[in-house]
Amino acid sequence: MNDAPSTLRVIIVGAGKGGTALLKLFTHSPDVEIVGVVDLNPEAPGLRLARNLGVRAASDALAFIADDRADLIVDVTGDPAMRSLLLQHKPPRAEIMGGTSALLLWKLAQHEQNLRAQLIHTEKLASIGTLASGIAHEINNPLYTITGLSEHLQDETRLEVIREYIEEILTAGRRIADIVRSLNAFARRTQEEKVCEIDLDYTLDEAVKMAHRATVLDQVQVVTQYDADLLVRGKPDELLQVFVNLVTNAVQSMEGCGTLTLSTADNDDFVQVTVRDSGPGIPHNNLNRIFDPFFTTKEQGKGTGLGLHIVRDIVTNHGGQITAESTLGQGATFTVKLPASPQSA
Amino acid sequence: MPWGLHTKDTPGNGRVMIVDDEDNVRKVLRLSLTKAGYDVVEAQHGGEGIEAIGSDDNMLMLDVILCDIRMPKVNGLEAITFFQQQYPSVPIIVVTGYPDQKMATDLLSSGVFDYLVKPVDKDKLLATVAAAMEKRLELRHDI
Repeated sequence: MNDAPSTLRVIIVGAGKGGTALLKLFTHSPDVEIVGVVDLNPEAPGLRLARNLGVRAASDALAFIADDRADLIVDVTGDPAMRSLLLQHKPPRAEIMGGTSALLLWKLAQHEQNLRAQLIHTEKLASIGTLASGIAHEINNPLYTITGLSEHLQDETRLEVIREYIEEILTAGRRIADIVRSLNAFARRTQEEKVCEIDLDYTLDEAVKMAHRATVLDQVQVVTQYDADLLVRGKPDELLQVFVNLVTNAVQSMEGCGTLTLSTADNDDFVQVTVRDSGPGIPHNNLNRIFDPFFTTKEQGKGTGLGLHIVRDIVTNHGGQITAESTLGQGATFTVKLPASPQSA
Repeated sequence: MPWGLHTKDTPGNGRVMIVDDEDNVRKVLRLSLTKAGYDVVEAQHGGEGIEAIGSDDNMLMLDVILCDIRMPKVNGLEAITFFQQQYPSVPIIVVTGYPDQKMATDLLSSGVFDYLVKPVDKDKLLATVAAAMEKRLELRHDI
């Protein structure tokens, strides 16, 4: 394989589950360029994802199979008619990987997806660790209302005072139940989660609530500038994880003091979310590395270095993009672009 | 003798300031303390606590301060630093929702009298405040 090209250019044939899994795998692979994705079914999910990722997608098998830049054509259709079509029209030097070998590659891509899902879950649980002290605070305050007022109820005989205390105890109990519910929703495993319409404003507000727990001395002013009623299609828990991570990072960078601005905007086919902080900013050298796995500037035990890497993974898997901009001393801005839902207002 | 400055000879058990942003937390603390015979002053955050104390010329007399940590505007750590400078002889008891060992150690070594984590048992609260009152009387005696 001495003459193997440094960048492998691949065409994926078949955009169902197998083709989509390969598309996601190749998108994350540094030395693989996807020349295009083909499926005879124009509604195939992989075609939509490819378009969102800026990759050529076609339902005409001959659209770019003859593209002579292709080194490899991976055919996951298992269709003998497709195989003979490919053999007839492929560029001379391109290899075809089909049948059992393509199936094996699909299995490996699925395995890699499972590992990624586990990694996403592990990072989420790790981030809950950094929220632990804030969670304790949020629970301990209403808990004190419950235990404290109960102690006073023991020697209280006035009916109206008893009623007042019980009402306050109930409110405090409900507040704790709410906190536990939102934590459970955040912590659950999302591997099997279905794609659905997601209300962005709600997701961002939830993220702010979660991130509020990440800081002890909370003097962060939150400014929201939402373009009304924006919907995106995706996995709700994964997108919540994206924004919890971005908002938590922003709050931590400001060391609990400053302004956090969340805004959404409708940009034709894309919905844009920006998370801006007024912290110290990110040095230019680090800006290129912040999405790399295990890159962290936090002190030991405060971060896994996987947060932003996973954020980018999730955004890419949703057919979106994430970028970071910063000038030292003037805070940092993260911009997430996600494909708009067809139902968006 | 300025009003509220508690000695062994003054009536009542002394004056406590509660600094906490949660209404119900202040209520529970106030109920426990007033039933035990203390006079109570309340502040919703550090800034209000500092304001309640007043200026050097017209200082509010206090025996013990109960102070939360996480509060809006002026947080507990900033307020405690101020109280320690202005009222070096008034014991400060931290009452917080944060079970944070490092913060507790740092605060105790800075001279804070005790660090209680909510929910605080009523007897434990009253015992701690009573011990702080004793300490205050000792400090008063030394001056």
